[in-house]
This record gives sequence, structure tokens and C-alpha cells, in this order.
Amino acid sequence: MSRTGRCIGALGLVLCATSVAARGDVVSDQAAAILVVPKIVVDVTNAAPQIAPPHRIDTLIRVSNTLNAPIRLYCFYVNATPHCTSTAEPCVSNPDMCSCLTDPVTCPRSFCKTEWNEIDFRIQLTAQQPIAWLASQGASFCSPSSDPDVPCLPLSSDSGVLGPGGQSNDESLIPPVPEDPFIGELKCIAVDRNTIPIETNNLKAEVEIVRSSSGFVDVEGYNAIGIPAIPGTNNQDNVLVLGGPSAEYSPCPNLLIMDHFFDGALDPVSNKTVTTDLTLVPCSEDFATQVTPTSTVQFLIFNEFEQRLSTSRSLTCFQEIRISDIDNARPGIERSIFSAAVQGTLTGQTRIRGVADGSRTHGNTLLGVAEEFRDGGGSAAVNLHFDGSRPQSDFIYLPGN
Amino acid sequence: MGRASGVIGRWGVVTSLLLLIATLPARADVTTDRGSSILIFPKLLFDSQGILPNGRPVDTIIQISNKSNQLVFAHCFYINTVPADPTRPASATNPSQWTEVDFGLLVLTKQQPTYWQISSGRRIEPDPLCSRTVRDCNNAGFDPGAVPPVNSDPFVGELRCIETDSTGAPLNGNHLKGEATIVTKDDNDASKYNAIGVIGLNTDTGPNNGDNTLCLGGGTSEQCPTGAEYNACPQTLILTHYAECNDDPSRSCAATDPVIEEIGSGPSQVVTELTLVPCSEDYEQQAPQSVTVQFAITNEFEQSFSTSTTVTCWGNFRLNTIGPVGRIFEISTLGSRFAQTRIFAPGTDASGGARGGLVGVVEEFHRAPRTSPTPSVGRAAFNLFVEGQRPNADLIVMPEQ
Repeated sequence: MSRTGRCIGALGLVLCATSVAARGDVVSDQAAAILVVPKIVVDVTNAAPQIAPPHRIDTLIRVSNTLNAPIRLYCFYVNATPHCTSTAEPCVSNPDMCSCLTDPVTCPRSFCKTEWNEIDFRIQLTAQQPIAWLASQGASFCSPSSDPDVPCLPLSSDSGVLGPGGQSNDESLIPPVPEDPFIGELKCIAVDRNTIPIETNNLKAEVEIVRSSSGFVDVEGYNAIGIPAIPGTNNQDNVLVLGGPSAEYSPCPNLLIMDHFFDGALDPVSNKTVTTDLTLVPCSEDFATQVTPTSTVQFLIFNEFEQRLSTSRSLTCFQEIRISDIDNARPGIERSIFSAAVQGTLTGQTRIRGVADGSRTHGNTLLGVAEEFRDGGGSAAVNLHFDGSRPQSDFIYLPGN
Repeated sequence: MGRASGVIGRWGVVTSLLLLIATLPARADVTTDRGSSILIFPKLLFDSQGILPNGRPVDTIIQISNKSNQLVFAHCFYINTVPADPTRPASATNPSQWTEVDFGLLVLTKQQPTYWQISSGRRIEPDPLCSRTVRDCNNAGFDPGAVPPVNSDPFVGELRCIETDSTGAPLNGNHLKGEATIVTKDDNDASKYNAIGVIGLNTDTGPNNGDNTLCLGGGTSEQCPTGAEYNACPQTLILTHYAECNDDPSRSCAATDPVIEEIGSGPSQVVTELTLVPCSEDYEQQAPQSVTVQFAITNEFEQSFSTSTTVTCWGNFRLNTIGPVGRIFEISTLGSRFAQTRIFAPGTDASGGARGGLVGVVEEFHRAPRTSPTPSVGRAAFNLFVEGQRPNADLIVMPEQ
């Protein structure tokens, strides 16, 4: 072997050692095999107390197939609507409504307890097809008697309306969310006709949350988070491995990064107070046994002076929280480390990390979305940034079929 | 030893050749959720008097963060594309200007977030800290540098920020993330999107040669002697959107927002604005880049349509103004409430050059009641989905300093 060949050979070994596997990352701007919609909220009956004047809220989910072939989705609503333990009434926006301290005899002590249960359903999409549905209504096949204001599934054998090549949305039925008010998430997984997960990175979705009342419309939107499948790794069982050894899907991020206004800051454009809500969901999910492990979430906050503060909080299944409530500041937000009054600047960068607990059955990474609310005005949602990955796996356990 | 080294050498040659072939094409890692070396904010609006065609006073807040533990520098460029007569849309008889104003270096300390309003910029001066009693604390924090306001009122255009070293030479640090919030002053509504990031290749090890020509994708060429320095721009942008209503409010329209219809503030109308900017930009020659854009549309019935338009420097289109025949995005043509549109540019531009990458963002305006001359409007921004990678390089040419 000539000297040149040895040099090239050495280069090859170096390249081999340093080249990484195809970067598989959780994305919010590319099609993927698993879709995660961290926040769905419904309150059409206006049963949950709202800021005055009361608004009604619903969520529109838009899903598209980017493939030139049909694709099937196996979807799960995760219902995280809290209820009073004594009355089972939903207590979404007012946890204190469960308290009953005035008459403990006839009104036993109660608290607002977050629950976690799932319902699953299947959707068949045709090639390149977009569909949408209201979370409060779900979607069924379009028919002459369908409400024209409610999106429906347009292609079906029953209606005789089929796509090119006879493709249809047959065998699809999208239920409404199980209660109103509702708060929770949605996860959808690309599967085959036998509901076996497949390695098809062709699903994308957007979410629209609308608040409306007489003379008021507010809309916010964000992209669903996608978890790409890693080609050639799927063993077709009901345990989806995200990252780590034996990964079938890309790993969930080690960190979430959120740039935000601190609560109580004045929007420099409108001079109105801005607050931020953060929704977090675990990457790991057990739809088979419905076990919901608790993770510790660390928050590391940097202000515009590069000063850092931190706090932590437990998360079980789902958390939607105003950031100035994360550290349980009382009596008002002005004592929170997420407030402009404490931080001294208008904006900050918060790095969010689920603490690994060494479990071999679930991971502790997180996904989420942030929303800004302007006092007396509208809201805006924004996808969080992702950073890094972990050696440990996350898992999604599907029910046995 | 000699025989072993010869075997290793031969395998190394084979491996290196295979890896070289496998790693040549740059990945299409334009991203909206990861740290990057180039940030693109495609849509900036400032209009203090509401004289732009939408008629509402508006401003934009830029947030940029350093996500690393080291000092980061950035060179930024405003591109002003307001037409000669800002009260009318840009056209052949009302051409857009293309004026570039650059500033920097911005300096961000480790993990530092910063922000500014484009109407006022940000000066280097001591500002009062926020506190429980001090609410007027705009610009508190380390000033990142002298950020000028945009150079006209009204202003429409984009912002790009390029990570550099302390001398101003481009650097592949991938340490930047950004968001833009467009706020309408009269009703305090807001829409927010993540900046589009172009990831630099081989962080900290080159091959960015630090010259003023930034090579996004592609191979070696006269302008890119070391090949791609950043990842390629995407081959395709994907948008799932509402069909457009006609502009006559007395005529009914089925492309309504089902959420607004369902919760009682209808009849509604959704207007979609698409903003596209070329990946390539020449700040040295101040030559605006033109790109022919193709649109391939699929409705819910899997029926296909297509149209095209041209983007010169910056394009902001209401969907139903796109294309030579117009109206192709109207529900009367599309036939369904939702559609999926794939947006792409041919591999070469009109002059036969090899440019043509695009990035963009979309905003929706949900109006109710549609028949009112002063409807309530909610706005929401979405980042576009991306797919694939362009085979040819896009170039950003920075001015000589």
C-alpha cells in the first residue's frame, strides 16, 4: 500500500468514526411519522370561567398527507381535563372552584385533580389529501345532510365520491373530544391497514385555536410536532422506541428552548401586559396500561443581563400553565422568577429539561408549545425550539390489537 | 504490521470514497426550531398610520437569542421593499424598492436573549430596570449593539442576521434562534412565527471559508471554491390552507372558519397571506433576485390544480391574487374548504443561473362577521413546512467591509 493509499485509508477511518447517522430530529416544519399536538382546548358551552367578556373556544386540527399514496393514521386523544374530586365537575380554568371550606359537612373537602385517559381512532387519508376537523365535533363522512359549517371527510364509498384510483377516507371516523370543556393533546401515528406502525414520514399538521364572542375574534396557530421514523428499524411491534439504542424513531429533544416576554411585561408596541402560557407533554406515553409516570422538569431562565435563575416542577402526563405560576409565586405574579418585576428585563430565554430518572420503561423528554396573551387583546402561539438528544429512549406503548 | 496496515489502508480507501459520495449533498436543514448560523425573518411590517393596503397600524418585535455558552456576534440586514406608493399593492406600475440597511455587529453574551421593535430599533443607553413599580422599562438589559429603526414608515420587508466572528467574518456556530411578533396596535392582536434558520455545516471545523459569499448547498464552483458552507434551501415548501372567499361580502362563501361559525360569531372569512423571499441575496451589488414560483394545489377531493408567479426580492400575496388567471385559490375553483399547496421553484432562474431557493411564512386573517365593514379580525402566523433540498447552491453575498 502506497503512502497515498495509507493517507486516504486513514482519512476513511477518521470519516467513519466522525460521521454520524442521518440526523433524525423532532421537527415542527417537516413531515414525519408521528404527529404530536400538545394542546387542544375546547369550551364551546362556556362552562369554564373565562376572562370577561366570556369567550368560547374551539380547536381546528388540519392534517395533510404529503405522500402520493394513501396513508392511515392511528390517533389518540389524551384527555387531561381536571375534575373536582367530589363533584366530578371540570375545573379547567378555576381550580379553586373545588374548594368547599364553608360547610365541610355537606360539602366534603375537594380538590381539582388532573386526570389522564385516552380514546383512539383511525383516519385514512388519500394521496396528498388535506383534511380538517373541529375538536368539539370530530368528523364523519360528508353527506347531503351534513352541517356545511362543520368540516367532514369528503371521500367515501357510501357517498359515491371517490378520489382518483378509487381512493377514499373509508374506515375513518374522528370522534369529538370526550367532554366540554376539554384540555389535552393529540398524538397520531402512521400505520398500515393492520394498525402496525410504518416508516412513512409524510404526515404534517397545523392547529388553530379560536376564541370568539360577540364582536371578538382571536386566532392563534402552531405547527404540530413531528417525530420522524428511522428507515429500516421498525420491528412492527406495539412499542415505539424513540431515540436511544434500538431506536425506531428520532429521539425527542434533550432541551426545549423558549424565548418569551416575562409575565407582567408591557408589550412595547401596545403598552399592554403580556403573559405567557406554556404547555408541556411527555414524549413517552403508555396507551396500553395508561400508566402516567411523573417527571421532574427543570427550568433555567436567563434574562437580558445574562443573569440566571432556575426552578423546577413535577409533570404528570400534561401541564398547561402560566409561566409565572410555575414557581408557585404568591400572592401575585410579581414575586415569580418568571415576572419582569423580578427579572428586571422584558424578555428572557428559558431552557426546559425533563430530568432523566434512569427508568428503562419510559423516558423523561418533553414536547410543548407556548402562547402569548396580550391584556385586552389577542394571543399568539409559537413552537418551541429543540436542542440536543439523549442516550436514553422514550417509548410510546400502543394498545394491543 | 505492514500487511495489516495495507489491509486497513485499502478498507480505508473504500470507506472514504463511499463516505465522500454519501456526504456530498448538503442536507436541507432549513429549520424553524433549532439553532442556526443564518436567521431569516421573511415578514416585517411597520405602519404607524395604517396607510398600507391592510389599513391597520402595525409594528414588529424581533427577538433573537444566543443559545450557547459563548459570546456570539451577528451581522444583520434589513431589506425594505415598500412600493413607491405604499397605499397600493406592489405592481408593474407601482414597483417595490429594494433597499438594504445593515447593522452590527450585534453582540450576545452567553444565553442572552434580546429584542427590539423595528420602528424604534434599540440604542445603546442605560435603561431603567423593570420592577414592581417600574413598568416602563423598555430595552432594559444588555444592549446587543446599535440597532437602527427601519428606514421608512411604512416599512415592509425582511430581516436577515448572519452569525460572524468578532471581525465580522461569517461563522458556522449555529448559535442563533429568533422569533418575530407582528402586533396590530388598534386591537392589540398579535401573530408570531419562528425565524427560519439556515444551519452552517461542520460547526467549528469549517468549511466556511469566512469570505463574503455564503454558499447555501450545492457543490464547488467559482463562487464556492470549498463547496457548500451552509445547508441547502428546501426543494419544496408545503402549506395547508383555507380556500379563499370571493371579495363580495354579499355573496355567500363556504370557505368559512368552522370554529367561528360553530361558536357563533359568523359568517366568517379567512384570508391567507403568503410571504416568500428568495434564499439568494446580493447585498454587494444590491441586485434583487427574481424567482419563478410554481404552485401545485391539491384539494380535499385529491383534485389537482396549478399556477405560478414571480417573486422579486420579496413577495407578499393574498392567495387569490396569485397566478395569471387569479382566483385559482378561491373555493369556487378549488371546490373544498381546505387545500394543500406545494410551492417550489425550478432549478434555474430566468437567466439560466442556478439559483431559486425560497423560504417563507404564512399569515391567516380570520374575519367575522364577513358582511360587516369593520369585522373583528384575528391573525395567526404559521411557519411553512419544508421538504427536500435544492441541488444547486443559493448565494448570499455580503458587502465588502
